[in-house]
Amino acid sequence: MSARIASLIASAIVLLHAAAWAADKPAATPAAPQPAVASPVSTTPAAAAPAASTPALGTATAAVSPAAAPGSLDSRIQDLKGDVIRLNRDLLVLEEELLFPSNTQVALFVSMDVGKMFELDSVQIKLDDKVVTNYLYTPMEVQALHRGGVQRVYLGNLKAGTHEIVAFFTGGGPHFRDYKRGATVKFDKGTDPKYIELRIKDSTGKLQPEFDVKIWQ
Amino acid sequence: MQLHFAIGRAARRTSAALVSVALACAVHAAEPPKPSVVQEPHYGDTLFRFWQDQYFTAITGLMTSQHFNRVAQHADEAEVLRGGMLLSYGMHKEAGEIFAQLIERGAAPSVRDRAWFYLAKIRYQRGFIEQAEEAMARIENNLPLALQEERVLLQSQLLMARGDFAGAAQVLETLAKSSSAGLYARYNLGVALVRSGDLPRGIAMLDEVGKAPAPSEEFKALRDKANVALGFAALTDEKPEAARAFLERVRLSSMLSNKALLGFGWASSALKEHKRALVPWTELISGAPGRDAGDAAVLEARIAVAYAYAELGAYGQSLERYQDAIGAFDREHVALDESIGAIRKGKLLDGLLEKNPGEEMGWFWNIQELPEMPHASHLNQVLAQHEFQEAFKNWRDLRFLSKNLQGWADTLGIYNDMLSNRRQAYADRLPKVRDEAGKLNIAEATKRRDALASELDKAELDADHAAVADAVRRAQIERIADLQVLLQRAGTDPEVAAAADRVRRVAGALTWQLAQEFPDRLWNAKKALRSINMEIELAQARDAALAQAQRDEPARHEAFAQRIATLEGTIRALIPKVAAITNEQQGQVQELAVAELTRQKERLTAYITQARFAVAQLYDRAALARKPDEASK
Repeated sequence: MSARIASLIASAIVLLHAAAWAADKPAATPAAPQPAVASPVSTTPAAAAPAASTPALGTATAAVSPAAAPGSLDSRIQDLKGDVIRLNRDLLVLEEELLFPSNTQVALFVSMDVGKMFELDSVQIKLDDKVVTNYLYTPMEVQALHRGGVQRVYLGNLKAGTHEIVAFFTGGGPHFRDYKRGATVKFDKGTDPKYIELRIKDSTGKLQPEFDVKIWQ
Repeated sequence: MQLHFAIGRAARRTSAALVSVALACAVHAAEPPKPSVVQEPHYGDTLFRFWQDQYFTAITGLMTSQHFNRVAQHADEAEVLRGGMLLSYGMHKEAGEIFAQLIERGAAPSVRDRAWFYLAKIRYQRGFIEQAEEAMARIENNLPLALQEERVLLQSQLLMARGDFAGAAQVLETLAKSSSAGLYARYNLGVALVRSGDLPRGIAMLDEVGKAPAPSEEFKALRDKANVALGFAALTDEKPEAARAFLERVRLSSMLSNKALLGFGWASSALKEHKRALVPWTELISGAPGRDAGDAAVLEARIAVAYAYAELGAYGQSLERYQDAIGAFDREHVALDESIGAIRKGKLLDGLLEKNPGEEMGWFWNIQELPEMPHASHLNQVLAQHEFQEAFKNWRDLRFLSKNLQGWADTLGIYNDMLSNRRQAYADRLPKVRDEAGKLNIAEATKRRDALASELDKAELDADHAAVADAVRRAQIERIADLQVLLQRAGTDPEVAAAADRVRRVAGALTWQLAQEFPDRLWNAKKALRSINMEIELAQARDAALAQAQRDEPARHEAFAQRIATLEGTIRALIPKVAAITNEQQGQVQELAVAELTRQKERLTAYITQARFAVAQLYDRAALARKPDEASK
């Protein structure tokens, strides 16, 4: 009896293990989806039923999917995503032209070059003695700045003429000391948009962070 | 796949070069890429979003900056970045067009190489192996360092797709053993080799993965997976001892521990060590944490335990276990039906979304976290499926788009109100401005200016010194003229004659003074006239600007209103379209889940049949055993 039961059980086990074991790498961020580790197609072998089993392992080669046929759901979703993205572009253009026309527009940016001497916590910016932004940074944002990102921290309007920006940077300085430093600049606003970058740099000579302002032409 | 990679401090402001590298990075690049400074702040802002995985904001912001021509210095890099991000949203068509255009317009070699690389990737993903290979062949030596590994991986995938596993293994040899992507590729290749029948090489490759150092949970999970695969492959190959050795490497508390325990039991059973087989199987059905009753391995262990008892000759216990198993399978059947019902009511997707409320489109969370719903463990297999994950991702993206459109619909309503207010304010202010402008009679001022200019010209031509004299001099001239008139009337008295002579001398002195002062006064007069000209021109310009504004401003308001109306129309058209496709996609995602649960039900049915058959056989055996007893009586 036992041999017969064993073979029956074995076939059952084969059925049970029809699940796949593909080594799908967790899809964390998807900028370039990894096709190699995609659809699992496998059966797992039943231990006690060698006769019935085939190597049952997840593979990567099944990742290649056929091209989405025109009119298919996938194709329609792709088109729809494209439509909404383009619509968002048009809406953002409208928004900017309506709220921040180029002749009065002023944009303030924050960037960090190296940033070894300073751990940014927050920034406060005053434009003509009026606080226009108080920004508290998340670790991810600080990391994005370290990686070369430039944050547009303020977008507004200004009349033509001379204006003044005062920026205060708060964070941790060398030797884990609290650090608060300011940077000031006067600039002339004409009829073109004005882009101003507040830069955090390391001064290796002084072993101190430096803060300066760049007016983009 | 994580696209991020470490960037050396020296290259922190090197975004332009990094971005495209980052797009496809499966691993962390060890060396900093070539420095290249951000040359336009708006491109930097796109990077700022990109590095935070805010791809939707990054793409739309970038396209807006492209519209305003604010990223011209990074034109090609920006397109590579945009193409890569669109690719991450599954928008192969549009991404492919972007990369093809970059190649067509003769981008720089480094950009061109990346474009060919991404095209190869897109083609591979869509199943065009030959075309993907062609694109790969066009890549020269300008890929950034971090993409080199991606290239090797893609190359190996293409070879595997062709069935050239040996070639794929050779290509993968160039990858560092410690590389995460390389480890996955080796696992996949090992599996492919086993499946192709090349057991020794496949097992060697999997063994390498199974013994690799695992500094992180991700690596440990992969190592477990390799060892389980090896264990079952050895069982298939009738090598139970080897199977046990592989399965012993699997952690007891991992996702795969149930499968490993099950396999370990079968390996022992194959070695006729049924008592030893009972140890892992009993653990599986113990109900301990992690040994969920609905888990496939736990279910299988139920009949495996019964089978082991039968093998040990404990038929009574075996029968009892089979009957328990049948009861458990029946309950599981009911539970699966309940799960299917819950899925069809949308509870699965709602539950998954609740666990992962993202703010952006894309794939930034862990789908393996089970939703709050009855019998959630049924979904382990469902959630592990790539097809399900992709379908769910699309569904989630569609939900995001729906919210995005709704948000804009509200915002446009506000803009419409704002525009109406602006129109009203303009209409209110215009009459006042017109009144102010009307008070300035520019035509009259111009006429007077012209008359003055003529007088000045004439004075210069005639050398009319008195014409430019100031008030003091003019008073002096008048006094002298008055005196001269008086003296003429005074007769011929010698005193009068003396006075007349004095007046004549004073008049002469005044004339001389005026002549001396004439050039300065003429210059000052001309200067004043120039100033008047400027004032009049300014007033004329203001007048023209006002007239222009009176024509343009309403037209500008109207243009904005029309744009808002058009965009509102587009949004209104898209909202139901997104809703309909979302529903369709939801149905598809749910059906994928239901199909998997249906397969589980079919397996259960097979188990029940097996168990019942075994029970029948045990009864037969008991009956047969009783017959000789009865005969002997």
